[in-house]
Amino acid sequence: MISASDLTKWYGPTLALDRVGFDIEPGQIVGFLGPNGAGKSTAMRILTGFLPPTSGTASIAGHDILSAPDAARAAIGYLPEGTPLYPEMRVEEFLHFRGRLMGMTRADRQRRIDTLVDRCGLSPVRRRVIRALSKGNRQRVGLAQALLHEPPVLILDEPTAGLDPNQITAVRELIAELRGKHTVLLSTHILPEVERTADRVIIIAGGRLVADDTPTELRRQVAEGSRVIVEAKAEPAELESLLKQVPAVESATAQSLGAWSRAVATPKGLADVRADIGKLLLDKSIAVREISREAANLEQFFVQVTDAAKRAASAESSAKPAAA
Amino acid sequence: MNVTLAIAKRELAALFVSPTAYLVIGIFAFVTALFFMTVLVPGQPAEMRWVFIYVVWLLVFIAPAISMRTFSEEFASGSIEMLLTSPVSDAQIVIGKWLGAFGFYAAMLSPLVVQIVVLFLFARPDYGPIFTGLVGLLLVGGFFLAVGVFVSAMSDSQLVSFLVTTLITGTLAIGVYSFATEPSLPEWLRSGLYYVNISEHYSAFAKGLIDATNVVYFVSATALFLFLGVKLIESRRWR
Repeated sequence: MISASDLTKWYGPTLALDRVGFDIEPGQIVGFLGPNGAGKSTAMRILTGFLPPTSGTASIAGHDILSAPDAARAAIGYLPEGTPLYPEMRVEEFLHFRGRLMGMTRADRQRRIDTLVDRCGLSPVRRRVIRALSKGNRQRVGLAQALLHEPPVLILDEPTAGLDPNQITAVRELIAELRGKHTVLLSTHILPEVERTADRVIIIAGGRLVADDTPTELRRQVAEGSRVIVEAKAEPAELESLLKQVPAVESATAQSLGAWSRAVATPKGLADVRADIGKLLLDKSIAVREISREAANLEQFFVQVTDAAKRAASAESSAKPAAA
Repeated sequence: MNVTLAIAKRELAALFVSPTAYLVIGIFAFVTALFFMTVLVPGQPAEMRWVFIYVVWLLVFIAPAISMRTFSEEFASGSIEMLLTSPVSDAQIVIGKWLGAFGFYAAMLSPLVVQIVVLFLFARPDYGPIFTGLVGLLLVGGFFLAVGVFVSAMSDSQLVSFLVTTLITGTLAIGVYSFATEPSLPEWLRSGLYYVNISEHYSAFAKGLIDATNVVYFVSATALFLFLGVKLIESRRWR
């Protein structure tokens, strides 16, 4: 539904996007992640036809963005970063205007606006001037505007930026409802948001694609090999030596918590050593109150991969003068 | 067409809710009223000719104030992104914005109609030159606004748009004339400058004359700047 190949963008001497390519299946919700300045907005602006790529191309619903820009644009509902709206217009008036630009008939517009105002929770403010709306409501107007012409593809640049937790939940639920009906590409730097809603996560850092997988798979990659925490009723030294008896444990350190001790065990490779530790402590009849893996989440993964990308980029730039 | 009109309507509505627009209308009404009072002297012919000619000079400043926001405001707020990513052509956007500004301009001329009515109440003016004078004002305004829309598409600052447009309209209406009358310049340059001079083309309308040359001058100049505006917006997609 959305396919990009080798998208590259130079802003003068700055490389903003470096051969980024991906294919998104119809009905998928894809999270587009990256630190600020990673190239998320640039990639989205290229997909929506606001900016041309320096090289490479992309297609939306089968329409090439360079050779059939109007058809590609008509297939997209777009929420630009920061939700720029016309502050002097009323909500309903603005939606009518957007509908006219999309070539919708009056009856179509009225029907869709009635549905969307309801669905996006805009009923109390539909006759208000946009200038007077809260940030959350403006964001909803932006979303309603993107959904207006029932586009097969939705591109949402930071749809939850600047919202409070309740509003974020509301927007997330709204996006989750779109699953299956629309193909959604949404950018964010708030990780829990994609962990919960996205079917797939694309991470870009320094203009490069550094990861592209399901959130579960990415989380598994981080979880594997993570350290195990054990709290048991034993002396620290005793617990340490017991843990070291487990074959798959690389090293262990323990400290005293009064009657209890807390140990951290690092496994060899990607092994999961929790069952082995549990069995050993049970055999020795030692009371245990916790055996757990250190919480692994996308946040750690994100930091890992973006750091790696940053290191690669700085290594490259420091290598250049040496070569010259 | 529907899309162009939608853009024009939004533009017009946006102008009517902004305080700048009312300031512009207010200044225009006040200054033209002063012209009207100065020009109308007992014993002189009851005509609008000089009022109209002064209005053209006033438009040098007034038209840029109307057109300055058309694109600059959208660039500054970022809403241009939503507009340019809609399935709408660049020509529809530029012409729509110009039409909206033109609609506002036409409404702004209404104080002149009041003056004309006053003139008819107290005298027997010749209605021909009044009619052609108004037609001419619409043509001059349309041209100035096209220049303004084009300049506005270059900058995200309304102030820069205003100043650059004023520079161009001022040169065309006043600046060129002073060079055209400079005897030390070669003849071909003087006649060339004289042709570009707007006041020259407008004065025929104020006299009651609709000359095809003058109509062609304004219409083609308007079309030229609208075309340049479309190219400028188009080029933003390729940079």
